[in-house]
Amino acid sequence: MAGKFVSMRNLKFLMYEVFDLVALTKAPYYSQHNQKGFDMVLDASMKLAQKMLYPLFEEMDRKAPYLEDGQVKVHPQVRAIMKEFGQGGWIGASFPEAWDGQQLPGLLHCACQLIKSSANYSAGVYPGLTSGAARLINLFASDELKATYLPNMMDGKWQGTMALTEPQAGSSLGDLATTAFPTDQGYYLLKGQKVFISAGDHDGVDNVVHMLIGRIDGAPQGVRGISLFLVPKKRPDGKGKLISNDVTVSQVFHKMGYRGAPITELSFGDKDDCRGFLVGEAGRGLMHMFQMMNEARIGVGLGAAAIASAAYYAALDYCQTRPQGRKMGAKDMNTPQVPIIEHADVRRMLLFQRAVVEGSEGLLMQCSRYEDMLNIAPKEEHARYELLLDLLTPMAKSYPSEMGILATSQAIQCLGGYGYCEDFPVEQHFRDSRIHPIHEGTTGIQGMDLLGRKVMMKDGQAFILFLEEARKDVAAARAVAGVAPLAEQLEAALKTLEEVTAQLAGLIGKKGVEIFLADATLYLEMFGTIAIAWQWLLQATAARKALDNGPKPADMNFYQGKMITARYFFAYELPKIKGLVQRLTDGDPLTVEMESSYFSD
Amino acid sequence: MEILVLLKQVPATESLIAIANDRVSIKPDGLKYVMNPYDELAVEEALRIRESQGGTVTILSVGPAKAAEAIRTGLAMGADKGILIDPGNLTCDGLATAKLLAAAIKPMTYDIIIAGHRAVDDDNFQVATALAELLGIPNISMVVKQTLADGKIRCLCTVEGGTKEVEATLPALIATQRGLNDPRYASLPGIMKAKKKPLETRSIADLGLDAAGLQPLVTIKALKMPVERKGGRVIEGDSVAVKVAALVKALHEEAKVI
Ligand SMILES: Cc1cc2nc3c(=O)[nH]c(=O)nc-3n(C[C@H](O)[C@H](O)[C@H](O)COP(=O)(O)OP(=O)(O)OC[C@H]3O[C@@H](n4cnc5c(N)ncnc54)[C@H](O)[C@@H]3O)c2cc1C
Repeated sequence: MAGKFVSMRNLKFLMYEVFDLVALTKAPYYSQHNQKGFDMVLDASMKLAQKMLYPLFEEMDRKAPYLEDGQVKVHPQVRAIMKEFGQGGWIGASFPEAWDGQQLPGLLHCACQLIKSSANYSAGVYPGLTSGAARLINLFASDELKATYLPNMMDGKWQGTMALTEPQAGSSLGDLATTAFPTDQGYYLLKGQKVFISAGDHDGVDNVVHMLIGRIDGAPQGVRGISLFLVPKKRPDGKGKLISNDVTVSQVFHKMGYRGAPITELSFGDKDDCRGFLVGEAGRGLMHMFQMMNEARIGVGLGAAAIASAAYYAALDYCQTRPQGRKMGAKDMNTPQVPIIEHADVRRMLLFQRAVVEGSEGLLMQCSRYEDMLNIAPKEEHARYELLLDLLTPMAKSYPSEMGILATSQAIQCLGGYGYCEDFPVEQHFRDSRIHPIHEGTTGIQGMDLLGRKVMMKDGQAFILFLEEARKDVAAARAVAGVAPLAEQLEAALKTLEEVTAQLAGLIGKKGVEIFLADATLYLEMFGTIAIAWQWLLQATAARKALDNGPKPADMNFYQGKMITARYFFAYELPKIKGLVQRLTDGDPLTVEMESSYFSD
Repeated sequence: MEILVLLKQVPATESLIAIANDRVSIKPDGLKYVMNPYDELAVEEALRIRESQGGTVTILSVGPAKAAEAIRTGLAMGADKGILIDPGNLTCDGLATAKLLAAAIKPMTYDIIIAGHRAVDDDNFQVATALAELLGIPNISMVVKQTLADGKIRCLCTVEGGTKEVEATLPALIATQRGLNDPRYASLPGIMKAKKKPLETRSIADLGLDAAGLQPLVTIKALKMPVERKGGRVIEGDSVAVKVAALVKALHEEAKVI
């Protein structure tokens, strides 16, 4: 089918057959839902994606945002999109009912987001950011701020942002300098500059609400001095009008991809009249921000997986219809050429993309499932799910982001020269995907977060829990004929993971932290690959069981394809950790020894 | 204003259709079912009328239990209640469907009935007209605009690329045409509410009818797939003038369109 960007069949397989979404409805928190309702929500997402978002995919890229008279102009349909996402309840889809949300399970919400982001990643960012900002307000802001700002944000009339980055403080947020000067009026006067702020200003909404981190004048250096503020572009004047709050846009960036959304440089308080309102506790701004950082980072992985999904289906469609060459050994030039999908190497490229897409979707839904457990499990079990989420987040962010670039690149490869041209969507998918290893913490930062913090925290408790979960699934898979060999392979990889981790941990005392973390990114790559193998084992187990139970004829190809893609992952991708293991354990700290001055030529 | 909407669940037009072994039906396997697109226009128009005039919107559908999904979608868009008429094993032609609907509607009070002018699966354009006849009310089809005033409905309808303006006294039945409106999307709150809205199912017996009186007057004898489109043809020639001449000749003599 032309214009396919996501597989509803696959999403339903993951939700219903792998992660048992319906089981959640037994818990009181989700008891208002049922499978029929879930299907309606999925259909509604798909309709919105097909009718409203997908048709604008290319246009929003070609007609990128621009700055005119101090105001960022975006595609005129952005206003309609924000309105629909507001009125349709999508901005608060996963919020509790107490916040006027729909209280949808995170698992279902994850699927809806995959649908919408694969149709048009840029378009989904506007409401997505608004939702993130609204979550922070709900969690930490005063009732007065909630009453003033939330209704218009939830309706999609006002944009929300996350304003962290500054020119000198990107990865190193502790260096940020935006300052909040206290007044005795209940607000602070903000002064500073922010850079790269997504949807930081545009004419598709009537106002913009920045969730900004800054430093109260005189606060200590580093992250302990950081507080969270709500800073509107326009503030209510108390008489029912909105007036300027001294926030100016100094530039909108011209980017490689993800061009449908504006990335802005903002200046706060040029005229000393920029009011900000403290949200949460002073000095805990970064902590508060981190409350939603897991979610935001998983959201980046989700965007990456979604883009790779769209590229994969575009490539698949092309490979099924492009005649080129003949089967090996066919010498008669009078026979028609075969569609390129008949060539083994093309199938390899398609399998790679599918393995990345569906493996990533699995890990993302796994995270959502743990989030849902936080809403329904007894309090004493929360620590378990929080730890697992903390550990998996850097991988759920980075694996889809890094591998999504390779997957979309392979999509281009499937189309040959046509893939490199603007007539087909895959070059845009490739450009769009490149942002993901950068924003919400670069892959390098994720690597250090995983190895330096998440694996080590609380005496390795999160790591131990992960092994426990994976081994539980290995045990279950061993009992299923046809997937047992994959289970053995995963078990071997888990053992390797334990050994490598123990050896690296030993370096802290012996060689110091710098050497310990020098290859943290490679550790992340190795761990991420193993985590995806775990997900493929789960999917293979579910698919095998479905095949053994005699599936509907229409489902046969789906399950067979699933099984082979799982085998592909274990045969082609998982073995790649061997090289990483060798590097991580050979004890040669060469990147540390390479002095900066040696890079002279 | 009491508004009734007639709605059918049909295979999505993007579904890959295959003819079943009996050669008179299609294979249900792997098909995705949706609300007939013209009926979406009908639901939307009904909701707009209710929003401006007040009243209730009731959806009626003839179909198997599964068709309740399409009714629920209409309820999620904002309709108030639904009635599913399940004909059981009976295969309905357009007239039988209209008879079932008529039996359900006769005891109801209504001001306006809105239907799609056809369902995209059978494409037989009959149910709305037959129903209006059975109810003895005016029938206006291919409506692209309607206004209500003083117990009357005034409609713009498409005719051969142009429009005509017609008027009828309520109660009346109108059938939608593309361009009437832009149907809204189902919202999440709408979906949540839809689950709790009343949806009753009625059998043929519940309507006081029996299968004998509903036997189809028209039966399908065979289904055939459309002929596959042949590839295009590139007109060769040394100059534009030569090519244009060849094209005109082909359009005139072979395609016979000019
Ligand atoms: C399209 C786009 C949208 C964005 N949206 C937002 C937004 O909405 N809100 C917002 O606040 N920010 C946003 N950002 C900013 C983004 O989060 C930062 O660009 C990112 O965190 C990296 O910061 P930086 O660009 O200053 O790079 P730097 O921090 O200078 O990093 C450059 C390189 O050095 C590496 N590096 C840096 N420090 C270390 C270290 N200590 N150890 C090892 N390696 C290191 C990094 O991994 C990276 O490879 C956006 C950026 C882009 C491009």
